[in-house]
Amino acid sequence: MPDSKPDSKVDVLIIGSGHSGGMAAKVLCEQGISCLMLNAGPIVDVQKDTETRPAYSLPYRGFKEPGRLPHVFQSNEFNANTWVDEQEVPYTYAADQPYNWVRVRLFGGRSLFWSRQSFRLSDYEFKAKSHDGFGEDWPISLADLAPYYARVEEIFRVQGKTEGLPQYPDGNFVPDDGAWCGAMERLSAAGRKASIPVCRQRRSLGRDGLASSVNLLLPDAVRTGKLQAIPNVVVRQLTTDRNTGLVNEVHFVDRLSRREMSVKARVVVLAAGTLESTRLLLNSGLANSSGVLGHYLVDQVYGAGIVCSVPEARNGKSTDALMDGGALIPRFRNLGKPAKDFLRGYALNVYSSTHAMDPRNFATYGADLQQKLASYHGSGLSMGIMGEVLPRYENHVSINKDVVDAWGIPVLHIAASYTDNEKNLTRDAVDTSIELAESAGFEVLSKNYEPNPPGYSIHELGTCRMGNDAKTSVLNPWGQSHDIRNLVVVDGSSFVSGGWQNPTMTITALAMRAAEHLAEQMRQGAV
Amino acid sequence: MMAASLSSKVVLAQQQTGGQVAPATPPQTGLAPTPAPPAPGPVPWMSGLDNLKPPALGEITADMVAVTETRFFTGLQMATLRHLCDLLVPPWGKYPGALEAGAPEFLDFLIGASPLDRQQLFQGGLDRLDRESNEHFHKAFAALAPAEADTLIRPWLRTWMTDHPPTEPYARFINLAHADIRTATINSQAWAQAADAQSRGEALYWFPVDPDLRRKLTSAPGLAPNA
Ligand SMILES: Cc1cc2nc3c(=O)[nH]c(=O)nc-3n(C[C@H](O)[C@H](O)[C@H](O)COP(=O)(O)OP(=O)(O)OC[C@H]3O[C@@H](n4cnc5c(N)ncnc54)[C@H](O)[C@@H]3O)c2cc1C
Repeated sequence: MPDSKPDSKVDVLIIGSGHSGGMAAKVLCEQGISCLMLNAGPIVDVQKDTETRPAYSLPYRGFKEPGRLPHVFQSNEFNANTWVDEQEVPYTYAADQPYNWVRVRLFGGRSLFWSRQSFRLSDYEFKAKSHDGFGEDWPISLADLAPYYARVEEIFRVQGKTEGLPQYPDGNFVPDDGAWCGAMERLSAAGRKASIPVCRQRRSLGRDGLASSVNLLLPDAVRTGKLQAIPNVVVRQLTTDRNTGLVNEVHFVDRLSRREMSVKARVVVLAAGTLESTRLLLNSGLANSSGVLGHYLVDQVYGAGIVCSVPEARNGKSTDALMDGGALIPRFRNLGKPAKDFLRGYALNVYSSTHAMDPRNFATYGADLQQKLASYHGSGLSMGIMGEVLPRYENHVSINKDVVDAWGIPVLHIAASYTDNEKNLTRDAVDTSIELAESAGFEVLSKNYEPNPPGYSIHELGTCRMGNDAKTSVLNPWGQSHDIRNLVVVDGSSFVSGGWQNPTMTITALAMRAAEHLAEQMRQGAV
Repeated sequence: MMAASLSSKVVLAQQQTGGQVAPATPPQTGLAPTPAPPAPGPVPWMSGLDNLKPPALGEITADMVAVTETRFFTGLQMATLRHLCDLLVPPWGKYPGALEAGAPEFLDFLIGASPLDRQQLFQGGLDRLDRESNEHFHKAFAALAPAEADTLIRPWLRTWMTDHPPTEPYARFINLAHADIRTATINSQAWAQAADAQSRGEALYWFPVDPDLRRKLTSAPGLAPNA
């Protein structure tokens, strides 16, 4: 009979299977290091788990089930079962500080569903403090991360155009040199008049239409024979060796049976997604000699923007050549002359479409609305903010000991709000969008100055920031805990500041860099 | 404030006691720790099911033959809602209007199952429509001619972006009711039957993936968000 208590230690235990965990597994396994991956949720089988259905056949006719997932604005009745249920894994916040925490625990995490906008941070972000004096610089620069970005971009097949702008660093792109749609050319011309660059979008093409950990990263790890994975186990705590102070054991609970188990490991890699990794460290009482664990939470301002109509595309004249396209206006504020009432800046996401317009862009109803919808069909163009949030100590997460999740694990209390800086840059973004649209000859139909609640962007970052100084940061520049050298964090919690850029290329490049450094340290016996 | 129920721990404790379930078929090897008790009849319970294909029953949705019994709004509110539906989303070409799509009755169900703030928004809004109708025209909203009703509705119409309906409560009601009535109409089976294949409202539906059955138990029914 085999021993019922295996005493063999795992080389590297990775918690989480998304972009960050997938990259860590790929790098480590390819270097010959055995990994065990634990993931809180099940493995998806799209053939079995999905079905194309008409809205009328669903219990709530395609409306969101009342009261379910109130903080996941992205959810609807079709996709409700893919998100983490807020009642199963609650979190708390003060009444005046609502927070939208949008999570996926399926194997592959959020990499199954992301929108694939793929950007590099620039030195305006890495060296933000040097530019404007606020916050901290990252301990690394674009030059340090550029080689890793290049390799990540190759794996994800990032499509983009070389633009030569320092605030929008170019990369290792699948070239995007095709024709741009007429509406974007017009916006671009309006941008030139205002000295605002209007650029091509950059996105991961992936393979077979998917750009996830499950199809781009994990298969490489599996191929080495070095990866083992356990789905449906929720890690509750890490514990350390009393003598060495090193982390040596991970305690988890079976999601379905509630059986409590543990496993010993030489090294632990946290890739549970920004706030979950921090929650685990806080619940374990580890890695916080600096006192900044949980602090400097940022995300990005979303939700403010405008919807307009391109007049030439109305009344049946919409074509792909005119209307099928997108653009990205990278940050243009505070690169030279300072803006009058805010630091940093924002980017604008621009999309146009040949499809129907949303009726809420017309203040009318009945037959009149139907005529408007018919006449404006295929003429819609939207511009939306992606705004930088300043990293502030006060924006933080802590453990709420009074509330537990479905497995009895204490939950996070999230305290985050936007300040005047975010509000002022949001107003500037909407005003500038209106000016650009009107200058391009578009009709502005709707506008919104009110940001969505913090968290909505699904780009929560920070709370375990990296730095050179162990007194003011949680991780060293390779994602290793200053306090515990065999503990590495590879998700977005290591960010020092967030910029306007969708973070996944940076998270994944940092995970690659951290995993290679870890492998080298393991080879040298330093870990 | 919290994003969900406080009671997970309590509910969990209640769930820890549960009966053991006997396997459906006897174990194949003598090594099995607990042999299943014999079936209480001549044939094992599950016999024959392994080859069963889902029967072709020609099933239909209830909306095709049945009406929704309204339970939430008062009779007067329902009459106001029906007239509002007819005005805001009338039949258009080959497409049914909100009344043909059963939108008012569906909304009675949906709003009745919704958190309190949404219920009050609708109840208060419908009451105010009828009250203003009586003030200005000395008759119920349900009896107003379209031009009369227009004077009560149009001043409150706004353009707005996703997730940002007007904040003033009555404008919020008028604009959200409009959006909900349209959705209930466009997502109806009556609409799908009139539509061509592209605009039938079909999308990829996700079943619960390997569901944790305790989810339903930990969520108190009707729990208001952030209660
Ligand atoms: C709809 C949507 C659109 C997006 N669009 C973009 C975009 O266009 N561009 C962009 O850059 N980013 C985008 N993002 C964000 C992007 O998906 C994330 O930045 C990225 O996937 C994060 O990867 P991760 O590995 O850090 O975390 P996750 O993907 O969250 O993975 C964390 C994993 O850890 C597991 N886990 C958590 N807690 C535990 C525990 N206690 N025990 C065991 N396992 C645990 C979870 O099961 C999960 O699988 C989008 C996200 C969504 C949802």
